[in-house]
Amino acid sequence: MNGEAISDVGVAHAAELLAFTEAVMRGDDAWVARTRAALRAVLSPEAYVAVAAIIAAFNVVDRVADATGIPLDPMLLGMSADVRDELQLERFASSANTRETP
Amino acid sequence: MDDLDYSAVGMPVRHELRAAHRLIFEHVRAPGNWWTGVQRVAIAAEARRATSCPLCRARKEGLSPSAVSGEHVDTGALPPNVVDVVHRIRTDPGRLSHAWFEGVVAAGLDAPHYVELVAVVTLVTGVDFFCRSLGLASFPLPDPLPGTPSCHLPASARPGTAWVPMIAPEDATGAEADMYPPAPFIPNIVRALSLVPDAVRTLWRSSDAHYLPVAEIGNPAARPAALDRMQTELIAARVSALNECFY
Repeated sequence: MNGEAISDVGVAHAAELLAFTEAVMRGDDAWVARTRAALRAVLSPEAYVAVAAIIAAFNVVDRVADATGIPLDPMLLGMSADVRDELQLERFASSANTRETP
Repeated sequence: MDDLDYSAVGMPVRHELRAAHRLIFEHVRAPGNWWTGVQRVAIAAEARRATSCPLCRARKEGLSPSAVSGEHVDTGALPPNVVDVVHRIRTDPGRLSHAWFEGVVAAGLDAPHYVELVAVVTLVTGVDFFCRSLGLASFPLPDPLPGTPSCHLPASARPGTAWVPMIAPEDATGAEADMYPPAPFIPNIVRALSLVPDAVRTLWRSSDAHYLPVAEIGNPAARPAALDRMQTELIAARVSALNECFY
Protein backbone atom coordinates (compact mmCIF):
# COMPACT_ATOMS: atom_id res chain seq x y z
CA MET A 1 0.00 0.00 0.00
CA ASN A 2 1.60 3.28 1.04
CA GLY A 3 4.16 2.17 3.57
CA GLU A 4 3.99 0.72 7.04
CA ALA A 5 3.45 3.72 9.29
CA ILE A 6 0.09 3.59 11.06
CA SER A 7 -0.90 6.53 13.23
CA ASP A 8 -2.84 6.40 16.44
CA VAL A 9 -6.05 7.00 14.45
CA GLY A 10 -5.38 3.83 12.52
CA VAL A 11 -4.78 5.44 9.15
CA ALA A 12 -1.51 5.01 7.31
CA HIS A 13 0.51 8.24 7.30
CA ALA A 14 -2.31 10.16 8.94
CA ALA A 15 0.02 12.78 10.43
CA GLU A 16 1.57 13.63 7.06
CA LEU A 17 -1.81 13.62 5.32
CA LEU A 18 -3.40 15.91 7.90
CA ALA A 19 -0.47 18.32 8.03
CA PHE A 20 -0.37 18.63 4.26
CA THR A 21 -4.13 19.10 3.97
CA GLU A 22 -4.12 21.80 6.62
CA ALA A 23 -1.23 23.60 4.94
CA VAL A 24 -2.90 23.57 1.52
CA MET A 25 -6.12 24.88 3.03
CA ARG A 26 -4.71 27.50 5.36
CA GLY A 27 -0.98 27.85 5.01
CA ASP A 28 1.50 29.95 3.14
CA ASP A 29 3.63 28.54 0.34
CA ALA A 30 6.53 27.67 2.66
CA TRP A 31 4.24 25.67 4.97
CA VAL A 32 2.79 23.82 1.99
CA ALA A 33 6.27 23.07 0.64
CA ARG A 34 7.45 21.66 3.98
CA THR A 35 4.48 19.39 4.44
CA ARG A 36 4.59 18.36 0.80
CA ALA A 37 8.17 17.17 1.19
CA ALA A 38 7.18 15.12 4.23
CA LEU A 39 4.23 13.61 2.39
CA ARG A 40 6.24 12.77 -0.70
CA ALA A 41 8.72 10.93 1.48
CA VAL A 42 6.08 8.44 2.57
CA LEU A 43 3.68 8.16 -0.38
CA SER A 44 4.06 6.84 -3.90
CA PRO A 45 3.87 9.44 -6.68
CA GLU A 46 0.43 8.14 -7.62
CA ALA A 47 -0.83 8.42 -4.05
CA TYR A 48 0.55 11.94 -3.72
CA VAL A 49 -1.36 13.04 -6.83
CA ALA A 50 -4.45 11.28 -5.46
CA VAL A 51 -4.22 13.34 -2.26
CA ALA A 52 -4.31 16.51 -4.36
CA ALA A 53 -7.34 15.16 -6.20
CA ILE A 54 -9.26 14.49 -2.96
CA ILE A 55 -8.46 17.96 -1.62
CA ALA A 56 -9.73 19.40 -4.91
CA ALA A 57 -12.87 17.25 -4.92
CA PHE A 58 -13.99 18.24 -1.44
CA ASN A 59 -13.35 21.91 -1.98
CA VAL A 60 -15.94 21.57 -4.74
CA VAL A 61 -18.35 19.39 -2.77
CA ASP A 62 -18.27 21.63 0.31
CA ARG A 63 -18.93 24.80 -1.67
CA VAL A 64 -21.72 23.31 -3.77
CA ALA A 65 -23.39 21.94 -0.64
CA ASP A 66 -23.09 25.12 1.39
CA ALA A 67 -24.04 27.45 -1.47
CA THR A 68 -27.19 25.53 -2.40
CA GLY A 69 -28.38 24.65 1.10
CA ILE A 70 -28.83 20.96 0.44
CA PRO A 71 -29.47 18.73 3.44
CA LEU A 72 -27.31 15.70 4.04
CA ASP A 73 -29.02 12.64 2.60
CA PRO A 74 -30.54 10.39 5.28
CA MET A 75 -28.52 7.40 4.07
CA LEU A 76 -25.23 9.29 4.28
CA LEU A 77 -26.24 10.81 7.61
CA GLY A 78 -26.82 7.35 8.99
CA MET A 79 -23.49 6.06 7.69
CA SER A 80 -21.55 8.88 9.33
CA ALA A 81 -23.55 9.51 12.51
CA ASP A 82 -20.84 8.35 14.93
CA VAL A 83 -18.08 10.35 13.27
CA ARG A 84 -20.28 13.45 13.10
CA ASP A 85 -21.02 13.13 16.77
CA GLU A 86 -17.36 12.64 17.69
CA LEU A 87 -16.25 15.62 15.62
CA GLN A 88 -19.18 17.75 16.81
CA LEU A 89 -20.03 18.76 13.27
CA GLU A 90 -23.37 20.13 14.46
CA ARG A 91 -21.42 23.25 15.46
CA PHE A 92 -21.05 24.30 11.84
CA ALA A 93 -23.62 26.80 10.60
CA SER A 94 -24.33 24.67 7.54
CA SER A 95 -25.74 21.90 9.75
CA ALA A 96 -28.90 24.04 9.81
CA ASN A 97 -29.58 22.92 6.23
CA THR A 98 -29.99 19.36 7.48
CA ARG A 99 -31.79 20.22 10.71
CA GLU A 100 -34.34 22.30 8.81
CA THR A 101 -35.27 19.40 6.54
CA PRO A 102 -38.82 18.24 7.28
CA MET B 1 -8.03 25.50 -25.81
CA ASP B 2 -4.34 24.91 -25.13
CA ASP B 3 -3.34 21.76 -23.25
CA LEU B 4 -2.95 22.24 -19.53
CA ASP B 5 0.67 21.96 -18.40
CA TYR B 6 1.44 19.56 -15.55
CA SER B 7 5.16 19.24 -16.24
CA ALA B 8 6.21 21.08 -13.05
CA VAL B 9 4.69 18.30 -10.94
CA GLY B 10 7.61 16.10 -11.95
CA MET B 11 5.53 12.94 -11.92
CA PRO B 12 2.67 11.50 -13.92
CA VAL B 13 -0.81 12.95 -13.51
CA ARG B 14 -3.26 10.28 -14.56
CA HIS B 15 -5.29 10.68 -17.70
CA GLU B 16 -8.66 10.80 -15.92
CA LEU B 17 -7.64 13.89 -13.95
CA ARG B 18 -6.28 15.65 -17.02
CA ALA B 19 -9.48 14.90 -18.89
CA ALA B 20 -11.59 16.20 -15.99
CA HIS B 21 -9.69 19.48 -15.84
CA ARG B 22 -10.03 19.93 -19.56
CA LEU B 23 -13.75 19.19 -19.33
CA ILE B 24 -14.15 21.77 -16.57
CA PHE B 25 -12.35 24.48 -18.52
CA GLU B 26 -14.32 23.69 -21.68
CA HIS B 27 -17.49 23.90 -19.58
CA VAL B 28 -16.49 27.24 -18.07
CA ARG B 29 -15.60 28.91 -21.37
CA ALA B 30 -18.80 27.94 -23.19
CA PRO B 31 -22.05 29.91 -23.02
CA GLY B 32 -24.28 28.42 -20.35
CA ASN B 33 -27.99 28.49 -19.72
CA TRP B 34 -27.95 32.00 -18.25
CA TRP B 35 -24.47 33.53 -18.61
CA THR B 36 -22.35 34.07 -21.73
CA GLY B 37 -18.91 32.53 -22.08
CA VAL B 38 -17.38 35.94 -21.43
CA GLN B 39 -19.38 36.32 -18.23
CA ARG B 40 -18.56 32.78 -17.08
CA VAL B 41 -14.82 33.27 -17.54
CA ALA B 42 -15.17 36.60 -15.72
CA ILE B 43 -16.87 34.79 -12.83
CA ALA B 44 -13.97 32.32 -12.75
CA ALA B 45 -11.45 35.17 -12.72
CA GLU B 46 -13.38 36.87 -9.94
CA ALA B 47 -13.28 33.67 -7.89
CA ARG B 48 -9.50 33.74 -8.11
CA ARG B 49 -9.36 37.42 -7.30
CA ALA B 50 -11.32 36.75 -4.11
CA THR B 51 -8.39 34.85 -2.61
CA SER B 52 -6.42 38.09 -2.34
CA CYS B 53 -9.32 40.39 -1.42
CA PRO B 54 -8.65 42.27 1.87
CA LEU B 55 -12.36 42.59 2.62
CA CYS B 56 -12.84 38.84 2.29
CA ARG B 57 -9.85 38.24 4.56
CA ALA B 58 -11.25 40.61 7.19
CA ARG B 59 -14.69 39.03 6.97
CA LYS B 60 -13.25 35.55 7.29
CA GLU B 61 -11.55 36.60 10.51
CA GLY B 62 -14.64 38.40 11.80
CA LEU B 63 -17.13 36.96 14.22
CA SER B 64 -19.77 37.44 11.53
CA PRO B 65 -19.13 38.27 7.87
CA SER B 66 -21.96 40.81 7.92
CA ALA B 67 -20.24 42.71 10.72
CA VAL B 68 -17.38 43.76 8.45
CA SER B 69 -18.14 46.33 5.79
CA GLY B 70 -16.10 47.65 2.90
CA GLU B 71 -15.55 47.09 -0.78
CA HIS B 72 -14.15 44.06 -2.50
CA VAL B 73 -10.98 44.28 -4.54
CA ASP B 74 -12.38 42.91 -7.77
CA THR B 75 -11.68 42.56 -11.47
CA GLY B 76 -14.23 45.23 -12.41
CA ALA B 77 -15.92 42.95 -14.92
CA LEU B 78 -19.05 42.04 -12.94
CA PRO B 79 -21.75 43.94 -11.02
CA PRO B 80 -21.10 44.45 -7.28
CA ASN B 81 -23.85 42.08 -6.15
CA VAL B 82 -22.39 39.30 -8.32
CA VAL B 83 -18.86 40.03 -7.09
CA ASP B 84 -20.01 39.72 -3.49
CA VAL B 85 -21.63 36.35 -4.13
CA VAL B 86 -18.57 34.99 -5.94
CA HIS B 87 -16.22 36.16 -3.20
CA ARG B 88 -18.37 34.71 -0.40
CA ILE B 89 -18.63 31.29 -2.03
CA ARG B 90 -14.90 31.15 -2.72
CA THR B 91 -13.60 32.43 0.60
CA ASP B 92 -16.18 31.75 3.32
CA PRO B 93 -18.63 29.06 2.19
CA GLY B 94 -19.22 27.64 5.65
CA ARG B 95 -21.08 30.74 6.81
CA LEU B 96 -23.51 31.07 3.94
CA SER B 97 -27.08 30.92 5.21
CA HIS B 98 -30.60 30.63 3.86
CA ALA B 99 -31.23 34.24 4.86
CA TRP B 100 -28.10 35.29 2.96
CA PHE B 101 -29.30 33.41 -0.12
CA GLU B 102 -32.73 35.06 0.07
CA GLY B 103 -30.97 38.42 0.19
CA VAL B 104 -28.97 37.50 -2.91
CA VAL B 105 -32.18 36.72 -4.80
CA ALA B 106 -33.86 39.88 -3.51
CA ALA B 107 -30.89 41.88 -4.81
CA GLY B 108 -31.55 40.65 -8.32
CA LEU B 109 -29.71 37.37 -8.87
CA ASP B 110 -32.36 34.75 -9.55
CA ALA B 111 -31.92 31.07 -8.71
CA PRO B 112 -30.98 29.84 -12.21
CA HIS B 113 -28.28 32.50 -12.61
CA TYR B 114 -27.12 31.78 -9.06
CA VAL B 115 -26.83 28.02 -9.58
CA GLU B 116 -24.83 28.49 -12.76
CA LEU B 117 -22.52 30.91 -10.96
CA VAL B 118 -22.06 28.40 -8.12
CA ALA B 119 -21.02 25.76 -10.65
CA VAL B 120 -18.39 27.96 -12.28
CA VAL B 121 -16.94 29.19 -8.98
CA THR B 122 -16.77 25.77 -7.38
CA LEU B 123 -15.39 23.82 -10.32
CA VAL B 124 -12.59 26.32 -10.90
CA THR B 125 -11.88 26.40 -7.16
CA GLY B 126 -11.37 22.65 -7.23
CA VAL B 127 -8.88 22.82 -10.08
CA ASP B 128 -7.06 25.65 -8.30
CA PHE B 129 -6.74 23.55 -5.14
CA PHE B 130 -5.41 20.65 -7.20
CA CYS B 131 -2.70 22.91 -8.61
CA ARG B 132 -1.87 24.42 -5.23
CA SER B 133 -1.52 20.98 -3.68
CA LEU B 134 0.99 19.91 -6.31
CA GLY B 135 2.92 23.17 -6.38
CA LEU B 136 1.66 24.19 -9.80
CA ALA B 137 0.71 27.73 -10.71
CA SER B 138 -3.02 27.98 -11.38
CA PHE B 139 -3.80 27.11 -14.98
CA PRO B 140 -4.53 30.14 -17.17
CA LEU B 141 -8.25 30.58 -17.61
CA PRO B 142 -9.48 29.68 -21.09
CA ASP B 143 -10.60 32.13 -23.69
CA PRO B 144 -14.39 32.42 -23.71
CA LEU B 145 -16.38 30.98 -26.59
CA PRO B 146 -18.85 33.21 -28.42
CA GLY B 147 -22.57 32.64 -28.32
CA THR B 148 -25.63 33.38 -26.28
CA PRO B 149 -27.03 31.55 -23.26
CA SER B 150 -29.62 28.89 -24.03
CA CYS B 151 -32.08 30.17 -21.38
CA HIS B 152 -33.13 26.55 -20.90
CA LEU B 153 -34.99 26.12 -17.61
CA PRO B 154 -35.74 22.46 -16.89
CA ALA B 155 -39.49 22.13 -16.41
CA SER B 156 -39.12 19.32 -13.89
CA ALA B 157 -37.12 21.35 -11.34
CA ARG B 158 -39.10 21.70 -8.12
CA PRO B 159 -38.61 23.59 -4.87
CA GLY B 160 -37.91 21.20 -2.03
CA THR B 161 -35.38 20.64 0.69
CA ALA B 162 -32.59 22.88 -0.66
CA TRP B 163 -32.47 26.64 -1.11
CA VAL B 164 -32.70 26.16 -4.87
CA PRO B 165 -35.12 24.04 -6.94
CA MET B 166 -33.78 20.62 -7.93
CA ILE B 167 -34.75 17.78 -10.27
CA ALA B 168 -35.58 14.43 -8.68
CA PRO B 169 -33.93 11.49 -10.46
CA GLU B 170 -37.31 10.06 -11.46
CA ASP B 171 -38.18 13.41 -13.10
CA ALA B 172 -34.98 13.61 -15.17
CA THR B 173 -36.48 12.84 -18.56
CA GLY B 174 -36.30 14.26 -22.08
CA ALA B 175 -33.33 16.60 -22.46
CA GLU B 176 -32.33 15.79 -18.88
CA ALA B 177 -32.56 12.00 -19.23
CA ASP B 178 -28.77 11.57 -19.19
CA MET B 179 -28.11 14.24 -16.59
CA TYR B 180 -27.55 11.91 -13.65
CA PRO B 181 -24.99 9.12 -13.66
CA PRO B 182 -26.14 5.52 -13.64
CA ALA B 183 -26.36 4.79 -9.92
CA PRO B 184 -28.90 3.29 -7.54
CA PHE B 185 -28.78 6.40 -5.35
CA ILE B 186 -28.30 10.02 -6.47
CA PRO B 187 -27.20 12.08 -3.46
CA ASN B 188 -28.26 15.67 -3.00
CA ILE B 189 -24.77 16.89 -3.86
CA VAL B 190 -25.30 15.61 -7.41
CA ARG B 191 -28.84 17.04 -7.60
CA ALA B 192 -27.84 20.44 -6.21
CA LEU B 193 -26.97 22.07 -9.55
CA SER B 194 -29.76 20.46 -11.56
CA LEU B 195 -31.31 23.80 -12.54
CA VAL B 196 -28.32 23.84 -14.92
CA PRO B 197 -28.06 20.30 -16.34
CA ASP B 198 -24.63 20.70 -17.96
CA ALA B 199 -23.23 21.74 -14.59
CA VAL B 200 -24.48 18.46 -13.12
CA ARG B 201 -22.89 16.47 -15.94
CA THR B 202 -19.57 18.24 -15.44
CA LEU B 203 -19.70 17.92 -11.66
CA TRP B 204 -20.20 14.17 -11.51
CA ARG B 205 -17.68 13.45 -14.22
CA SER B 206 -15.18 15.55 -12.28
CA SER B 207 -16.08 13.71 -9.08
CA ASP B 208 -15.55 10.36 -10.81
CA ALA B 209 -11.97 11.37 -11.64
CA HIS B 210 -11.04 13.09 -8.40
CA TYR B 211 -12.87 10.97 -5.82
CA LEU B 212 -15.20 8.09 -6.63
CA PRO B 213 -17.90 7.29 -9.16
CA VAL B 214 -21.29 8.33 -7.75
CA ALA B 215 -22.45 4.71 -7.78
CA GLU B 216 -19.59 3.81 -5.41
CA ILE B 217 -19.94 6.59 -2.84
CA GLY B 218 -22.11 4.48 -0.53
CA ASN B 219 -19.87 1.43 -0.89
CA PRO B 220 -17.37 1.36 1.99
CA ALA B 221 -15.12 -1.03 0.06
CA ALA B 222 -14.67 1.37 -2.87
CA ARG B 223 -11.51 3.45 -2.99
CA PRO B 224 -9.90 5.92 -5.37
CA ALA B 225 -6.72 5.08 -7.21
CA ALA B 226 -3.56 4.79 -5.06
CA LEU B 227 -5.09 5.61 -1.66
CA ASP B 228 -7.04 3.39 0.71
CA ARG B 229 -10.54 4.42 1.73
CA MET B 230 -9.53 5.41 5.27
CA GLN B 231 -6.86 7.76 3.95
CA THR B 232 -9.34 9.19 1.48
CA GLU B 233 -12.01 9.86 4.08
CA LEU B 234 -9.46 11.33 6.50
CA ILE B 235 -8.43 13.91 3.90
CA ALA B 236 -12.04 14.59 2.94
CA ALA B 237 -13.10 15.05 6.54
CA ARG B 238 -10.23 17.44 7.23
CA VAL B 239 -10.99 19.55 4.17
CA SER B 240 -14.65 19.71 5.11
CA ALA B 241 -13.90 20.59 8.72
CA LEU B 242 -11.61 23.43 7.62
CA ASN B 243 -14.34 24.63 5.27
CA GLU B 244 -16.79 24.35 8.19
CA CYS B 245 -19.02 22.18 6.03
CA PHE B 246 -21.54 19.83 7.65
CA TYR B 247 -22.40 18.00 4.42
